[in-house]
Amino acid sequence: MTRSHIVRLLTSAALALIATGCVAPRKDYAAFIAANPKSILAIPVLNNTVNVDAPDYFLSTLPVPLAERGYYVFPVNLVKRLLEDEGLADAGLVHRADPAKLAALFGADALLYVTIQKWEAKWILIQTNVTVEFDYVLKDAKTGTVIWKDHETMEYSSNSNNSGGLIGAIVSAAVAKAAPDYMPLARRANAQALAYPGPGFPAGPYRPEYQLDYPKAETQQQPPPAQPMPPQRAEAR
Amino acid sequence: MNARAPLLAAAVAAATLAACAPPTMYAWNNYDQAMYRHYKNPQDREAWVAALKTAVLESEQEGRRTPPGLYAEYGYALYEEGKAKDSIVYFEKEKAKWPESRVLMETMIRNANRRDGNVPPPAAKGPAGSLEKKPGSTEKKR
Repeated sequence: MTRSHIVRLLTSAALALIATGCVAPRKDYAAFIAANPKSILAIPVLNNTVNVDAPDYFLSTLPVPLAERGYYVFPVNLVKRLLEDEGLADAGLVHRADPAKLAALFGADALLYVTIQKWEAKWILIQTNVTVEFDYVLKDAKTGTVIWKDHETMEYSSNSNNSGGLIGAIVSAAVAKAAPDYMPLARRANAQALAYPGPGFPAGPYRPEYQLDYPKAETQQQPPPAQPMPPQRAEAR
Repeated sequence: MNARAPLLAAAVAAATLAACAPPTMYAWNNYDQAMYRHYKNPQDREAWVAALKTAVLESEQEGRRTPPGLYAEYGYALYEEGKAKDSIVYFEKEKAKWPESRVLMETMIRNANRRDGNVPPPAAKGPAGSLEKKPGSTEKKR
């Protein structure tokens, strides 16, 4: 199999993934729109896995997609360090703290709670499956109520594009097991969680389509263009 | 080659997925990768501070918008280095550029002012720890 052949296969696989990834169930954004947050405080990530590095690694993937949605995102590393200085090194404590008080410390409009449910590489015979799974919850700082949430699972298998027979598969699996790369999966999970229209939230104040991208058209499959588009159809709730 | 296929797959998927998203509003200059490396290898503080500095300078030079949090993160890195006075410059920049950051930045500026002067550099904790760096001391590097 030639390299170009492989690339072609992979590209079509990636495209298929996008086609499904960009279509997402509709959500009720009433609470989100009513809260109208302008700034998001991503608090330290809660870890339900045995991988002790996962929360910090994952934290580093959050600012870019959140800010690109048009919100002010508080500096996540600085926030984490300040909380540690306040005796809140344990993410569980932060997650259980009163949202209003927590937000007031920073002057935030909304708080993003992420819990890592899976961050693992499993070696099964001739294939390694790398899986990440996250719960995302956004709370309004004023009321402490949940204004948005999402759940994402991403997986990749060392075997999915293998062409080298059994030995090739074993080698691929060993490589993937020895150095599983979670970060692209984590970024993809975020991209999918925040894609809009879709599971993600509407554009924030730093995007040109702020307050113009909802109520959203039901069948739109592309991310909103830079130029604001008038809603095509009012959505019955 | 076969062993590289999954890597290739990830790269292609990432590249194609990036194409799915609109071009970025901000000049990130690998801010997220730098933070990831900082958490992966907290001893190498110099790389973290340098990466933030580069990201700040390049985002300003490019004339593209400096992303939210970047000035503050760089300011905090300087603060951790014991450069409280320098850190204030960047906390001020963050505050001026992003009104949403006012409460936090005013706190940071107060802290930095308190520390500025004859107070010794902070004994850092957490991932950025091991920074009780004295000038001239030889540090162990991995």
